[in-house]
Amino acid sequence: MNLMEHMGIEPGRLQFSWISSAESTKFVEVVKDVTSSVKALGPNTTYKKQAVKVA
Amino acid sequence: MSGYQDKIKETAKRLLKEGSVEMVIGFRKGTLPMMNEPCFIRRPEDVHQLVWDSNCGINLANYLTDRKEKIAIVAKGCDSRNIVTHIIENKIKREKLHIIGVPCQGMVDKRKVAALCAGDIENVTEDGDVLTVTCQGAEKKLSRKEMLQENCTLCIHRNPVLFDELVGEPVAEQTGIDRFAEVRRIEAMESQEKWQYFEDLLAPCVRCYACRNACPLCYCPTCFVDESKPQWVGKSQNPIDIRTFHFLRAYHCAGRCTDCGACERACPMGIKVRQFTSKLNKDVLEMFGWEAGMTLEQRPPLDTYKPNDPNDFIK
Amino acid sequence: MAEFEPKIVSFLCNWCSYGAADLAGVGRMEYPPNIRVIRIPCTGRMSPKFFLSALAEGADAVWVSG
Repeated sequence: MNLMEHMGIEPGRLQFSWISSAESTKFVEVVKDVTSSVKALGPNTTYKKQAVKVA
Repeated sequence: MSGYQDKIKETAKRLLKEGSVEMVIGFRKGTLPMMNEPCFIRRPEDVHQLVWDSNCGINLANYLTDRKEKIAIVAKGCDSRNIVTHIIENKIKREKLHIIGVPCQGMVDKRKVAALCAGDIENVTEDGDVLTVTCQGAEKKLSRKEMLQENCTLCIHRNPVLFDELVGEPVAEQTGIDRFAEVRRIEAMESQEKWQYFEDLLAPCVRCYACRNACPLCYCPTCFVDESKPQWVGKSQNPIDIRTFHFLRAYHCAGRCTDCGACERACPMGIKVRQFTSKLNKDVLEMFGWEAGMTLEQRPPLDTYKPNDPNDFIK
Repeated sequence: MAEFEPKIVSFLCNWCSYGAADLAGVGRMEYPPNIRVIRIPCTGRMSPKFFLSALAEGADAVWVSG
């Protein structure tokens, strides 16, 4: 994960969490959290294969 | 250095004669100057081929994977650490090995020398710290110390860690060197800058996989780049595929890389492949206090669980 | 253009987060629709290959949950 950031992928593109199967509320919370942080980060433009251009 | 060479020959001859090993892995002169090649000697009368000088940068541990016969291997500091890693990972048995340890004073970077010479290098001889290079009929004297590979200038384990006999007195280890200055320089950059740095770094990559082939850690029967169902990494020259390849290769070396520099030496395009692994080496050292290949007693951090493993990244 | 809706590829462990997601569904809880769940037998199945190819194929983020 550190290497990812080291190579210039923004922190937050890869997130980890730990939720037990009984913690549905935590699950919902984390989903909201992850979504909003990625929204703030904006779309992934760097580490993405560009669609093949056909002439 | 030449003393080492005689001692290596002598030892190899003795071991082959008494039949305690079936094969000796060492170096012989390559067809080009400054390019010693690995050689496998099975008969005592062939030991005269063995050489030892400052051009033995290839990591011989690479040739041990899954070998079944009794082998004697010439090993400098980093090779011996890779042999330890091999033993830990059950790729070779300790009993099958006779390790001829060679205290190392660094290997010469042929690119540095070539950059200072016009035309092809015809011959190189060394005497202590002086390298005499002949190119286009002219002789040139260079300081061996200044021509060392980058990883050798940053090396703190020059003496073999594991050996059955040493061919010379252990050399003094380098102290007070900042091994991770380059990593820290990149760490200080912004994401965008880092991205650009690696973009430029990898731009010349031709996906020849020389770095993978030279690496003693890369012994998977099927490398992830050759997998096709599913295909995780594209085989094209697409910059993302190139980056993914280097990225995953580095990940596979996490906690195992000994910074032997074989990958960088093998790269035909002169890419600093060590940029990836040295970051991981730094992280593993900081997070787990681990340096690869230093001991047979302890399991590496990535295949053990400890309650106090760092887990700050988990929400 | 409407607000940016990220695609988040989520690798959920069968026994932990996947169960939690199931429970959240049973409890009719609401959460953002941006995640695309991939069930893995255990977080130990996770590999760098997965998130790298997910990102390369166009995901905006990857979330791994055990």
